[in-house]
Amino acid sequence: MYTRIITLCYRKIIDINVVKPWDKLVFDDSYAEFKIQAQQISYGTPYTSYAELLRNVPAAKNLSALVTPAISSYVQQLNETVPEILNNLGRRFLIFRQFQFELINSDINDKNKHQIAVNFFTEPLVWYDTISNYLLIGHLSQTTEDIYTHLFQLQPYLSIHSIKTGQS
Amino acid sequence: MERKNFLRSLIIGAASTPVLLNACKKESASAAESGSGSVTNAGSAASSNACAVAPTETEGPFPTKSPASYVRSDITDGRSGYKISIKITINSNCTPLAGALVDIWHCDAEGNYSEYGGSGMQSTNYTAVHFLRGRQTTDATGVVTFTSIFPGWYSGRATHIHVHVHNAAGSTLKVTQIAFPEGLGTAVALVNGYNKGLNGYTYNKSDNVFSDDTAGVEIATVTGSLTAGFELLKTINV
Repeated sequence: MYTRIITLCYRKIIDINVVKPWDKLVFDDSYAEFKIQAQQISYGTPYTSYAELLRNVPAAKNLSALVTPAISSYVQQLNETVPEILNNLGRRFLIFRQFQFELINSDINDKNKHQIAVNFFTEPLVWYDTISNYLLIGHLSQTTEDIYTHLFQLQPYLSIHSIKTGQS
Repeated sequence: MERKNFLRSLIIGAASTPVLLNACKKESASAAESGSGSVTNAGSAASSNACAVAPTETEGPFPTKSPASYVRSDITDGRSGYKISIKITINSNCTPLAGALVDIWHCDAEGNYSEYGGSGMQSTNYTAVHFLRGRQTTDATGVVTFTSIFPGWYSGRATHIHVHVHNAAGSTLKVTQIAFPEGLGTAVALVNGYNKGLNGYTYNKSDNVFSDDTAGVEIATVTGSLTAGFELLKTINV
């Protein structure tokens, strides 16, 4: 059988307007850490925004990586389940083991400008079919005669991150 | 994965119904009776079976406040090298400063830092470590202690440890670096650059950060041995 194995990426955007507890904790703690790390990079320069630092101070490109440890324990609290993305039965169903934290905007002096994303990368999935607007996928390496599947719709901020085609 | 994870992913969804039901139940049970301000019903444990195993309930979806994974005293993270204990005292106006946050970071035996390099934009497995970086809060005597490995060196710099002191609100009090004593019989000479040797090493007097420190204010006291490990003591005035 001709198969397509895909991984998905969900880019969860978090900014000052979030209301859910997890989102707020990630917002607050990533901002506190950004402030700490960015001050040390902006030291001796007039720049306070992430964009300015990125343009003018080479070390600023590491800021996303430096802020990541502030939020990694929150990612662990998700128990490897991608938040918010539901299958057609209304259940969360995507498993991730990799994530990437990303600073979008921020400013040492203005928390309102802080905007970040957490990118979740799913485990490989087999894409069996496309039914109307829905993708029919199953987890990899199922050995039973009946293969268990999920039906779900692509939506904003959810995309196919990688694809591998082959025979199985 | 596969079937097990698939089943688990079903459970995640299915579990949400009982949560709601229980939540309603608990709310009605805790509705206060009107009356005097003292407890009239202390509650009673089910007496039928004192040894009954607690029922397994779904874990609530409530996130808890967690410190950054920088907060730790042992920052080794599996990096190999000679053990070093780093004890830093933070003073403000010559008196110990309690409650200050102290971040330190330094390179590994080969001269590499965590978080830097070409893979910065790769997705990370969240068990990924942030080696040789840590944060501690000063105690009443202004002291923080870290356990790490003796830093290696890289081209253009003398051996050093970065220090960033900030207050509890995250405002910078001081960004500085700690230099090491050098010359015959010092720890730098004993470690001898690990596998690299000291050929091409930048000494403090030529270092672009430490060269202006002719009084040696930035140089720590380092004692110990290769076998027993080293101890670094440094007082920083912010």
